[in-house]
Amino acid sequence: MNLRKIGVRALKAAAKGILVYILYFVLSLFLAPFMEMVPTLQQSIEAFVTLYLILMVIGDFLADTIYHYFFGAGKSLFVIFYLILSLKSGVVSTAFGSINLLVDLRLFLVIAMLLSLLGLARSVFQAINFMNEKASITVSL
Amino acid sequence: MNIPIRTIGIATTVFWTILILFSVSVAYSVKDLQFGFGEPQIGMSLDNKLVFSLPINVTNKSYYGIGVFNVTSIVLDEGGSIVTQGSSVMPLIEKNRAVTFFHNLTLDIGNLLQRNQSYLFNDTQLSVVECVSMKLAEIIPVQASGNFSIPWGAPLHNFTLEQPRFPAFNLTHIQVEVPLTFENHASFGFSGDVRIRMYNNAGVLAGSGDTAISVPQNSHYKGSVEFWVMASAISLSGRLEIELQTPFFSYGPQVIVYG
Repeated sequence: MNLRKIGVRALKAAAKGILVYILYFVLSLFLAPFMEMVPTLQQSIEAFVTLYLILMVIGDFLADTIYHYFFGAGKSLFVIFYLILSLKSGVVSTAFGSINLLVDLRLFLVIAMLLSLLGLARSVFQAINFMNEKASITVSL
Repeated sequence: MNIPIRTIGIATTVFWTILILFSVSVAYSVKDLQFGFGEPQIGMSLDNKLVFSLPINVTNKSYYGIGVFNVTSIVLDEGGSIVTQGSSVMPLIEKNRAVTFFHNLTLDIGNLLQRNQSYLFNDTQLSVVECVSMKLAEIIPVQASGNFSIPWGAPLHNFTLEQPRFPAFNLTHIQVEVPLTFENHASFGFSGDVRIRMYNNAGVLAGSGDTAISVPQNSHYKGSVEFWVMASAISLSGRLEIELQTPFFSYGPQVIVYG
């Protein structure tokens, strides 16, 4: 693997990371009024985006290796467990003085987990396909 | 194998995009929901129960409709027993619509006084558990609940029956006047009848009289019940029995010794 290839990969991964962060930044502007009401939500989303971006950038940097798919699967598992832990099984409650606010996000959680499981399955298939193609190349050589 | 993998990839990307955009737009448009409360109205139901009506205005300028908008109130007494409860439901508030509906709470004062007559004479605090729930975008359940206290004003605060006076008499009868004072601290006015029976020291009914009263909310009542009794039946001491009848509640007979 030459240095130029590594440089292109790093550039690609960084560009994708920046693009996703810009997307998050734009969406967070829409969520600003909601986040002012629930300050812990902002911290939670920021931590999630940071970890997700790290996994995504490392995964993209390791493209064309089996580790790329490991990080892809890790990303999906991270989303599943983070959502379960941060959304407290889907029912989020917070208190504003004497008023308790309760939001039932179980439907959102179920859909997000199903999509993450689909992403996990995709990473597994990609890894199998990658190993299969690699084996085919080795046999043909 | 590349095509199915790519298809799964495209499908998950599309669904994630839809899910994130939908969630963000729902959260963003919550700020365009406005709630307002009008002046509470107090009325009387056909079965003589007090009805508190709170007009609730909901202006939905969000991107989605609001499903099952529910307001529930539970009023508890000092001991934590339920005094009354009421629930109002709006099945659907469509987007760009403003809706006003009434949240009614029916209070059977007679029933309340049966449990504890001190509500008639003593001001106190009642606890209210208020719960507002709705489905944002018709699918995301949200619930806000809180506790607060409301003052209970006694309708017969400082109820005082003074010693009977005898302002007039003739050869056979004596006029009896029993002064009566109280303060209506309740949030409702009431009218009714006060009836007094006078018994002499032998326990014989000497006479009785009644008077109609009408007491607006937060006002002081000062009046008297006047009646004539036979001079031969009256004694220097005895007892008075007082009864109060209003559409909301009945009280008595309360026995007061005179002389």
